[in-house]
Amino acid sequence: MSQYPSSTRSNGTTESRTNAPAVRVETLQKIYRSDSGSVEAVHSVDLEIESGTAVGLLGPNGAGKTTTIKSLLGLIVPTNGRVAIHGKDVHDSPAETYNRVGAVLEGARNTYWRLTVRENLEFFSALAGQSSSEAKERQAALLEQFSLEDKAEQTVKNLSRGEKQKVSIACTLARDVDVIFLDEPTLGLDVESTLDLRRELRTMVNEQGTTLLVSSHDMDVIEHICDRVVIMNDGEIIADDTVENLFDVFDTQQYEITVDDPFPPAVRETVIDEYHATNFNQREEATRFTVKVIGDEFYDFVNTLQAADVSVDTVTAVEPDLEEIFLRVTDDQTTVDQESELEDGEDR
Amino acid sequence: MNSTNMRLVDWVRNRQSPTKWVILCKAVLKKQFTIMLRYRVNFAINIVTMYVLFAIVFFGGQAAVSQAGGSFNSLDSTLNGLIVGWFLWTMSQGAYSGLASNVTQESEWGTLEQLFMSPFGFGGVMWVKAIVNLVQSTVVGGIMLLLMMVTTGRILTVDLVTIGPILVLTIFTIIGFGFAFGGLALIYKRVQSVSNIMQFAMVGLISAPVADISWLRALPLVQGSGMLQASMRRGVRLWEFAPPKLVVLVVTAIVYPLVGYVIFSYCSSVARRRGVMGHY
Repeated sequence: MSQYPSSTRSNGTTESRTNAPAVRVETLQKIYRSDSGSVEAVHSVDLEIESGTAVGLLGPNGAGKTTTIKSLLGLIVPTNGRVAIHGKDVHDSPAETYNRVGAVLEGARNTYWRLTVRENLEFFSALAGQSSSEAKERQAALLEQFSLEDKAEQTVKNLSRGEKQKVSIACTLARDVDVIFLDEPTLGLDVESTLDLRRELRTMVNEQGTTLLVSSHDMDVIEHICDRVVIMNDGEIIADDTVENLFDVFDTQQYEITVDDPFPPAVRETVIDEYHATNFNQREEATRFTVKVIGDEFYDFVNTLQAADVSVDTVTAVEPDLEEIFLRVTDDQTTVDQESELEDGEDR
Repeated sequence: MNSTNMRLVDWVRNRQSPTKWVILCKAVLKKQFTIMLRYRVNFAINIVTMYVLFAIVFFGGQAAVSQAGGSFNSLDSTLNGLIVGWFLWTMSQGAYSGLASNVTQESEWGTLEQLFMSPFGFGGVMWVKAIVNLVQSTVVGGIMLLLMMVTTGRILTVDLVTIGPILVLTIFTIIGFGFAFGGLALIYKRVQSVSNIMQFAMVGLISAPVADISWLRALPLVQGSGMLQASMRRGVRLWEFAPPKLVVLVVTAIVYPLVGYVIFSYCSSVARRRGVMGHY
């Protein structure tokens, strides 16, 4: 794979590696107002992303991910709060900011389908003010990096979806930016293209020091690309931690238990009520079910079974994947919200 | 420091060098012409359509005059005026829709956001597009002029030193409308119906009776159209025009684009506040 040094940025900006994080968001709020009322899409979001790291942005539809990303890019003016890329406010210093940041947005082609891959790379380099001679080496490296050399003279509309997505990312990189926002980069891609793109994105972070903010519904992508995950729900950040820590927090919480029959109904009710047992499956004189417990709760659970003379056959710790973590975090948040709404209602 | 001052400081600190502007101009020009030539059948159909429309008017008029017992050659002045007017309308049409319709197109293509994120600034990129559209419109207008002169057998005066500046300044007045409607397209997306009305409005402006109603000269296209007619039909040179006419031409060429650009900038800011920039 060819390399180009990240320090030799050709867009005229000085490579000021200050202590400022690559991305800083302070109390970001966005309220959309219309005749029918107002909707708060993002509520007081604080976020920092260090240079050369990849951060995943997760959240259900309507969580405020796209509004956050577009606010970071200056495409949306926030109602309140401040957004800075490498210490520069994107709304006050757009020219300086756009020398450092680029984006591949979801649902947008991001490139000109009627131009060839090479023509697109040339155009987007020029859009950043790079002459064709100084950008040529970079373009060649990008074609090689994304395995697009054979497709360089083909019009983008004739490429596969995966190749088009690669061209979009390559065109963003052609502008010589070091902070990239990717909104659903693997949407609609086949497995092979997804794996391919995942690899390329991680390489950009590891070898070129690119900072990535990836919004995706594809948990595998987030899990394999990102160092850190931010989970949003209802316009707020409800979890912000490293992928490892999120796994640690939820690790060994879930167990698959198989007990020998008979499994008395009273005990079954107890494990459902107290340990939220689910997924009951009875077969060949054994009952299998799943429980979610935290830490020492597991020993209490086993003691409960033993006290009822239920013989435990197997216990398997189920490692949660990121999707499970995401669902649990967003479920918990929804429950908390509903409870506080109920409490508010009772107070009134 | 308030936001306006910050923007000004940012603009001064980050103003792109002339070399970089040339790079951008060349890139936009190359893109426009590459697409035009790659889809040459489409380009040819557009030219043919405009030519056929002209031919219908020309030959239709000829037939109507003959049937009425008149001589078509007696309408010499009117026919020359038709050619000049059609030439200007072709160019105006291209320059206007190249901005207004292009915003909708870029939104549909999903490339508008990328233009917005250029260090040259969204406005800067759109100005470059406006200038490139002017070049492209000149090529189309030139082809049409040639076709019209061959078809009618009439030779008009094409003094480039005179018609060059007049054309540029005249088209600049309509570029202001391109900016204004381009701005509206940022918010409302589909402004095609307004663009269709603009086509007819441009015909009216080009043929406005300035001799009877002098204030009409202040409207876009009007002053330039009259001067272009005088130059191409009667061979009037640039320095032979009365200074007030030149002043009106220059002032309208500055005021309309500036007003159009202010509207465009305002609409851009509204689109960003509403979160609909590029959102199609």
